[in-house]
Amino acid sequence: MTGPAITEAQVLDALRSVMDPDLHRDIVSLGFIRNMKIEGSVVAFDVNLTTPACPVKDRLRDQSRQAVLTNVPGATDVRVNMTAEVRRAQAPDTSALKTVRNIIAVGSGKGGVGKSTVAANIAASLASSGARVGLLDADIYGPSIPIMMQTGTPAEPLADNTIQPGIAHGVRLMSMGYLTPGDQPLIWRGPMAHKALQQCLLGVNWGELDYLVVDLPPGTGDVHLTLVQTVPVAGAVIVSTPQDVGLQIAMKTLRMLQQTKVPILGIVENMSYYLCPHCGERDELFGHGGAKAAAESMKIPFLGEIPLDIAIRRYSDRGTPVSIAEPESPSGLAFREITGKLAQQVSMRAFKNIALSIVEE
Amino acid sequence: MAPLTPEQTTPVGLRKKGGERFTVAWADGHESVYGARYLRGRCPCAQCVSEMTGQRLVFEDHVNPDVAVAAARTVGQYALHFDWSDGHTTGIYSYDYLRRICPCDACMSALEGGPA
Repeated sequence: MTGPAITEAQVLDALRSVMDPDLHRDIVSLGFIRNMKIEGSVVAFDVNLTTPACPVKDRLRDQSRQAVLTNVPGATDVRVNMTAEVRRAQAPDTSALKTVRNIIAVGSGKGGVGKSTVAANIAASLASSGARVGLLDADIYGPSIPIMMQTGTPAEPLADNTIQPGIAHGVRLMSMGYLTPGDQPLIWRGPMAHKALQQCLLGVNWGELDYLVVDLPPGTGDVHLTLVQTVPVAGAVIVSTPQDVGLQIAMKTLRMLQQTKVPILGIVENMSYYLCPHCGERDELFGHGGAKAAAESMKIPFLGEIPLDIAIRRYSDRGTPVSIAEPESPSGLAFREITGKLAQQVSMRAFKNIALSIVEE
Repeated sequence: MAPLTPEQTTPVGLRKKGGERFTVAWADGHESVYGARYLRGRCPCAQCVSEMTGQRLVFEDHVNPDVAVAAARTVGQYALHFDWSDGHTTGIYSYDYLRRICPCDACMSALEGGPA
């Protein structure tokens, strides 16, 4: 085929019609297009998204391809390679954590609402999408991550007084539960919890991470304060059950985080309904939709609902989150959808926030 | 006291001039310039404000006139922390609090005109 050669400018012009639905800007001005190669009628480039867990990845791929095929004369073969690079929310001022891009806190009002289950599944889903993920179990009262994410390699102390995180399902792990042997409880006053959390944040060789998910204890205590005072948290996820009493307490945790200016990334409703394993019927044991209504009235994203499903409990107890063990099951899909929405929220905020540091005048 | 809007309590710029002056530029366009002694005399920590009664114990008049900011850092995303040249280091100044004590004439007269 002859005719004028295709230029990079032509391709970029064509791609300007493709909008990122969350950031409301076109993918060219967002700087997503990388590594463009043009050989004859073949055009190849990368679309570098803000998260590998992007829920609109396939749509953007198709739109980019179509835009070039339709608007660039002579282009007959368009090869779109989807890549991702997670942008940093705010530059953490703590040098030990400078390799961690986004810290996501998972909190709840009361205990027993499945906060750790949600944290483990979010972390595992993010990792399976290709992101570099760490999970810090900061629940001093009931550290359950060591059970839910059974480690391939356990965490271990190193000679220089730092800790090498364990690894399970592609997630780097550290738990306050590792700090005491076996079945011993942690009996700590506030200052001990404060020191321990700081060590878990700053004394662990997290390495390069796109997301560090922190599983908080229930409520609003020392650990929460230490976290929000030690590091800039990109945002928080609140887990609640649908019934009123759980929800009302969850709102207290939410307001505490708002008071310390931690952005609320969204609410997850857990134990939303019971899926009968025999007949598949849906039973709403704790009522339904409470968290969604609360999210709407507080203008906070509602990330999704998770069924009360025996498979979630079974896989948790065996050490593999359901989103990894059965990704296509109703519960696995629910967790993956929530993870996608969460990653979207983090990306939107990373573009909005600018790092704030004190400058000398 | 009227609640502050998020724009009024979100900083967009933080500037320090040596140890003597600290400036916060806010998202609503306002700018607050604090002298070191003014800030030190309004420290919100439990040694300077009684934990039991909420009464202020250390006032600006009690503070050395030459007090300076020895170091300043951000606390998470909601506050500033200062090390003072007189050795005091326990105050955490939330952005809400800092906006409420803005020393500019407009903010001061609004404060005096309103309910105490």
